[in-house]
Amino acid sequence: MSELQLAVAHAVKLALVVLLAGLLRRGKARLCWSFLAYALAILVGNSMVSLWPDRFYNPPFWVLKQGVYDALKMAIAVELAWRAFAAFPGAMRAARRVLLALLAISTLALASLTPPSSYLTLWEWQPGIATAAVWLLTATALLVVWYQVPLHPWPRAIMLGLAPYLLVFVAALDLLRRHGWAAFREGAGLLDSLAYLSLVVFWAWAAWRRDPVPAAPAQGSPA
Amino acid sequence: MTVEIVLSSIGCVLLCYTLGRYNRALTLQRWQFVLNAPERQAIESLRRRMAVDSALVRQALEAAGRARGASRAPDALTVLRVALDVLEDAGADRLTRLRAMGVYSRMVRAIQPLPPPSGAPFRGARLRVAATAAGCVHRFLVGTQERFRLWLLVLGLGVRIVLRGGRRSADAADRAPDRAKPWEDFARGVDDFEALDGCHLTAFEALVASLSAVDRGGRLRLWERIVGDAS
Repeated sequence: MSELQLAVAHAVKLALVVLLAGLLRRGKARLCWSFLAYALAILVGNSMVSLWPDRFYNPPFWVLKQGVYDALKMAIAVELAWRAFAAFPGAMRAARRVLLALLAISTLALASLTPPSSYLTLWEWQPGIATAAVWLLTATALLVVWYQVPLHPWPRAIMLGLAPYLLVFVAALDLLRRHGWAAFREGAGLLDSLAYLSLVVFWAWAAWRRDPVPAAPAQGSPA
Repeated sequence: MTVEIVLSSIGCVLLCYTLGRYNRALTLQRWQFVLNAPERQAIESLRRRMAVDSALVRQALEAAGRARGASRAPDALTVLRVALDVLEDAGADRLTRLRAMGVYSRMVRAIQPLPPPSGAPFRGARLRVAATAAGCVHRFLVGTQERFRLWLLVLGLGVRIVLRGGRRSADAADRAPDRAKPWEDFARGVDDFEALDGCHLTAFEALVASLSAVDRGGRLRLWERIVGDAS
C-alpha cells in the first residue's frame, strides 16, 4: 500500500466517522438500516487494512470484504425500494415485480457468464455485481418518479451518490482489465479510493444537512 | 468498452436525471391534493368555468354573425378573433388540466371505468376519426388506468384539433369574409369544443370519484406515513 493510498484510506475513515455521527445525530440512520450496516462494515474493513496492512492487505481478505460490501449494497437498494413504496400497495406491486426480475436476471448472468470469483480475475465478476446494483437503484428511482412517490432527501442522496461511484468503480476495473494487473493496479486503486472519498464526503454532507419540513397544507391543485 | 460500462452508464445517467429533477415539495403538494380532493366543489367550479367559456364563445360568434349579416365584415372578423382568443385560453386551460390529470391518475390505485371514446358527439371529420380510432384501441386495453389515460390522450388531441381548425377558419374568414364555409367551420368547432368539455368533465368526475373512494381514515394514515419520516 503506497503512502498516498494510505493517506486517502485515513481520510475515508475520518469522513466515515463524520458520516456515521451525522446519521445518528440527525436521526437518519432509521431511514435505511442497511446503509448504517454498510457504512460500519466499510469503516471496519478500511481500519483493518490501513491499520494492520501486513495482516489484512492481501487478496483473500479483499475478496471477503468485497463480498460483504456487495451484499450490503444490494440490501441497501432493496431496502430503499421497500421503504419508498411501503405505503403505496400499487407501486409496491410493480416495484416487487421489477426488482425481482432485475435480481433474477443479474443472478443468472453472474452465474452463467462469469468465472468463479477470484482476486486475479476480479474485473470479470465485479462489474456485473456493480451494474446490477446500479440498475436496482435506477429502477427504484424510475418507479419513484413514475408513481410520484414522496422520497426523503436522505435516500435520494444515497442513490445519487452510490450510482455514479459504482460507474467509476466499473470504469476502474475496466482500466485494470485493459492495461494489466501489474501496470495499473496502483492507478486503479487510487482512482477508486479518491472516488470513494468524494462519495463519503458527499454522504457526510447530506447526513448532517437539515432537511426541510413539509410545507403547510395548500389549497388548489398543483399542475 | 464493456457491456457493463455501457449498462452502468445508461443506468447512472437515468438515475441522476430522474432523481436530479425530482421535486419532493411538489410531490408532497400533489399528494396533499389527492388526499384532500375537494370533490363536488371542484367539479362544480369546473362546470361553471366551462359554461362561462362556452357562453363567451357563443356570444362572440353570434355577434360576429350579426355583424356579418349587416355587411360589417371588419367588425365581424374582429369579433371572430375575440371568439378564437377565448377558445385559445379555454384550450390552454383544458390541456393543463389534462396533463395534471395524467399525473394524478398514476397516483390513485383505481380509476372509475369510463365508457369507450366515440365519434358520435363530434361534428368535425378529423375529430370523429380520432375518437372512433380511440374507441377501437379502448377495446384492446385491459387496465382501467390505461383506458383512462387513453381518454386523456384523445381529449388533448381533440382540443388541439379544434384549436387548429378554429385558427384555420378565422384565417380563411379574414381572406374571404363573404364565404360562408369558414364561419360554418368555426361554429362546428365551437360545437365540438363543447362536446369535448362534456367528456373532459366526465373524466374529471371519474378521477375525483376514485380519489374520494379512498376512505378518510386511510387518507390520513397514508398522509402521516408520507410525511412522517420527514420531521
